[in-house]
Amino acid sequence: MKPSLKIGVLTLAVLGFGAARMPFEANLSSELRAAGLTPMPLEIGTRDKIDQTSSAVVLGGLRTLVATFFNLRAFSFFQEQRWDDVAETYRTIVDLAPRTRYYWETGAWHSAYNAASFYLNDSKLAPLRRREAWRSSIIRGRAFLERGIRNNPDDWNLLAYLGFMLSDANKFPAFGDSDATFSAAADAYGKAVKTGKALDFVQRAQLYSLARVKGRELEALALARKLYAIRKNQTPTLKTLLFVLEAYENPKLEMEKRALEIFGTPEASYDALCSHWQRTRERYPVHGVAEALQALEKTLKIDPKNSIFNQPLQSPTMTDDWFSK
Amino acid sequence: MSRAIHSLSSHLSRISVIALHAFTQLVRMKVFYFLVVFAIIMIASNFFDLPQHEGPESMGLNVLRSIKSWSLGTMTLFSVVLAIVATALLLPKDVEDRTLYTILAKPVPRLDYLAGKLLGVLMLVFVSLALMNLLMTAVLHIRTGMVMEDQMQMAKTLGWPPDAIAAMKAETLQQGPSWSLQGAVFAVFLRASIMASLALLISTFSSSTLFTTIVSFLIYFIGHFQADARDAYLQAGAAGEGVFARLISLLLSLVLPDFQLFNVIDAVIEGQALPLMMLGKLTLIGLFYAVFFTFASWFIFSEKEF
Repeated sequence: MKPSLKIGVLTLAVLGFGAARMPFEANLSSELRAAGLTPMPLEIGTRDKIDQTSSAVVLGGLRTLVATFFNLRAFSFFQEQRWDDVAETYRTIVDLAPRTRYYWETGAWHSAYNAASFYLNDSKLAPLRRREAWRSSIIRGRAFLERGIRNNPDDWNLLAYLGFMLSDANKFPAFGDSDATFSAAADAYGKAVKTGKALDFVQRAQLYSLARVKGRELEALALARKLYAIRKNQTPTLKTLLFVLEAYENPKLEMEKRALEIFGTPEASYDALCSHWQRTRERYPVHGVAEALQALEKTLKIDPKNSIFNQPLQSPTMTDDWFSK
Repeated sequence: MSRAIHSLSSHLSRISVIALHAFTQLVRMKVFYFLVVFAIIMIASNFFDLPQHEGPESMGLNVLRSIKSWSLGTMTLFSVVLAIVATALLLPKDVEDRTLYTILAKPVPRLDYLAGKLLGVLMLVFVSLALMNLLMTAVLHIRTGMVMEDQMQMAKTLGWPPDAIAAMKAETLQQGPSWSLQGAVFAVFLRASIMASLALLISTFSSSTLFTTIVSFLIYFIGHFQADARDAYLQAGAAGEGVFARLISLLLSLVLPDFQLFNVIDAVIEGQALPLMMLGKLTLIGLFYAVFFTFASWFIFSEKEF
C-alpha cells in the first residue's frame, strides 16, 4: 500500500473511531458531572491566577494537588495577615477543588473571623474604617460560604456553619437587619436538617435562631414543642425558649408554675432563667422571664441585693463599644 | 476449532514472551529508582505536620486528604511519564540493538511484537502503581488510625454525644483507605495505558524517541481539553459560533482522547465514592483506545522496512 494511501486510511479510521466513541464519551462525561465526580471546567480567571507550573499540573489532571499547595500558600498569607491574598487564594482553591468542604469552611472562617478580628483590633485605622473593614470581612466570609453551599447543596455541614455564622453574637451585627439575619440562619439550619444527614443539635440550633425572629414566634413555638417531646433535646436553652415562647403565645400564663413544670425545681428554674436574662448580646426574646424571676425570687427568698435585676448586664449593642475606643 | 484455539494460544504465548522480555528490559534500565522518591514523599507526608489550619472538629482530616492528593498526583505523573518514555524508547532501542531484525526474521507476526511490547510497558506501569498503591494504603491506614485516636480522645474529653462521634468517625473513614481509592488508582493506570498505546502508535512512524515523547506529552495535555472542544461542538448552535470554529472543535474531539473523564481521581481525593459502574465504563473506554491504537500501530508498522 502506498504511504499516502496508508495515511489516508489511518486518518479515516481515527475519525471513524472518534465518531463512534463521541456519543459514549459525551454521555459518560455528563453522567460523571451530574454525579459530581468530575468538576466543571476551570474558569479563565482561575487559569490566569495560577502560575505556569501549576497550570501545567492542572492541565495534567491534578487539580486537587495544586489546591493542596495553594492551601499551604494561604497559610503563609494568613501568618503575614495579608487578608486580601488569603481570600484570593481561597477563591482559586475552591475553583480547583469545589467539592472539598474544608476549603469552603476555612476560606469563610479566615474572612469572617480572622480578618474581622484583625480589623477589630487594628489600632492603626480610624474607628470608621475599622468598622467598615470588620463588616466587609464578615460579609465576604458569608458570601464565600453561600457560594460553597450553592456548589455543595447536599452538604449539611456548610449549611450549619452558615447558620452558626449568622447567629453568632459577634457577627450578626455586621449584617444590619437582625430579623432577616436570624431568619436566614434558621433557614440555613432548616435546609441542613432537610438533607437528613445533620446531627440532632442542628435542629435545636434552628429553633434558637427562629425564636429570635420577630413575627415567626409561633412557628418557633411549634418547633420547640416538637423538639421538647424528645428527651435528648431537653437542653437548658431549649427549655428556656419553650417557656419564653409559651409566654409570648399566652401572656396570661402563670409564669412561675409553668417554669416549675419545665425546669423541675424553683432553684433550677431560677438558674436557667437568670442565665437567659443575662444573655443580652444574643438578643433572645424574654417574654415572661422578668415576671417569673420576680416570683421565683420571692419563693426562694433571694436577698434584693443579690437579685438578678441588680446585676450588671452586657450592652446588647457591643459593636458600638468596640469601635468607639 | 482446535486449530483456531492452537493459533490463538501460540499468539498469546508469543505475546507473553515478548512482553516479559520488554518488562525485563525496562526493569534493567533501573526505572524503579523513582519509587525511592515516592517513598520519601509518602514518609515525609506522614511524619511532618504541614502548616495548615485544623479545626477541632476536623482534627487531622485534611492531612489524610493531603496524603491522598500527593500520592495520586505523584502516581499520575510517574505513570504517565513512565508509559510515554518507556514506550518511546522500546522500538528505537530494539532497532539500535538490532534485536528487532532478529525477532522479525522469525515467524513472529508484527502485531504480536507490538502487542507484546505494549503489554511489557503496561506490566511495568502496573507493577509500579501497585507498589506505590501499597505504600500509600499503608501510610494512609496508619495515619487514619492516628487521626481517629486523636479524635476519639477529643470527643471523650468534650463529652460529645454518640451520634456526633459516629458522624465524625464516618467522615474520617471516608478519607482513609477505601475501595474508591483503589478505583482511582486503577483510573490512573487506565490513563497511563491509553498514553502508552498512543505513544506506541506515534513511535511507529516517528523518527526519534524525542519526537514521540514530545508529541505524546502534547497530546496528553491537550487531551484534557478534548471535553471542552466536544462541548463547544455539541453546543455550537446555541452559542452561535461560526462554521470554522465548529469544524475545528469537531476535529479535535474526534482525534484526541478525552482525558478529563479520568479526573474522577480528584473526586475520590475529596472523599467521594466512585461507583463500580462508572469505573467499568472508564475501563471500557480505556480498552477501546488501547485496542484501537494497537491495531493502528500495526497498520503502520506492518509494511515498514528496516
